[in-house]
Amino acid sequence: MSGAGLRPLAMFGGVVVLATAVAAQVVEPAASPSAGRVEVRVGAVLASNASKEFDTRLAALHRQFNALFPYSSYRLVKEERQQVRWGERVGFDIPGGRYVVVIPKEYKNERVAMKVMVLEGARPIVDTAVSLRNHGTFLVAGPREQEGVLILSIGAETVP
Amino acid sequence: MTCRDAAALLPLFFDGELDANQMRAVALHSTRCLDCETALRQLERLQDLVSVHVATAVDEVDLSSFWSDVERRLGPTSVSWRERLRAWWGERDTAWAIPAWPALAAVGAAIAIGLALAARVQTPTTHPDAGQVATRDNAAVLDSLDTDAPSVAVLSDPETRTMVLWVSDDDSVGDVP
Repeated sequence: MSGAGLRPLAMFGGVVVLATAVAAQVVEPAASPSAGRVEVRVGAVLASNASKEFDTRLAALHRQFNALFPYSSYRLVKEERQQVRWGERVGFDIPGGRYVVVIPKEYKNERVAMKVMVLEGARPIVDTAVSLRNHGTFLVAGPREQEGVLILSIGAETVP
Repeated sequence: MTCRDAAALLPLFFDGELDANQMRAVALHSTRCLDCETALRQLERLQDLVSVHVATAVDEVDLSSFWSDVERRLGPTSVSWRERLRAWWGERDTAWAIPAWPALAAVGAAIAIGLALAARVQTPTTHPDAGQVATRDNAAVLDSLDTDAPSVAVLSDPETRTMVLWVSDDDSVGDVP
């Protein structure tokens, strides 16, 4: 192939390489979620065998409740969401005299690491450090009482 | 814990820097002590004010003429990019002419890299079930657990991998469902 025939082809190659480099800059991933805020959500669910009513607001947790607990009725008593910066603490008052303190620590490997304390009156019933998948939820249940059990759903998700 | 003890630890508590026992003690104290709760609220308000102040100060910095000022200080560029490219091309033509097949390979490689980059970036954002998958998989990692209750059992639903901390007043864990 002659030099004159090679030139347009090589120039085209150079243009494609440049375009690829520009595209790579354009599609640079968004800023790390840990730079923003985190939304912490706490729900209080009263589970009992008093009826067979399932609160429709708990649809997302229906399968988990059925698999994990022996109750027929689940009623959402309270749900609260609060946005905080990483490292800040956030408190939630729970019916029945409980208080939940959550401190989101960091976002790493698509997980939200946080410290969670559940206080019942003067008694800290759970004091834990947990790493939860972003948008995930874990549950704190018990102690069992005569009328059923209070289940706390605690979740977190990053806010860009 | 007394107010004097708590007051010394409040800033560390606020930053989440205390160990589990101290964290619990301060949290417990602040839920029952109006003065300490007020002090915590003041710390929160102070942090908010500082954040707002810093954000406002940063917003007020005028960066619109930054690059033009930099360019002016650098002085006029001696050679434009177009001229540099032309010079490079001329040099290439005489010094190291590229055969046809490496040029074709470069084009192919560039297109492949471009497609791979585009696919990598688009996949997570356009997947219709992305949110649902995240919701379904609640896998949690327990780094530490402390309690004043007689027992706490850790349960998990194998399907959704949802973790439950089951607090029981029965230390034989016979209360677990």
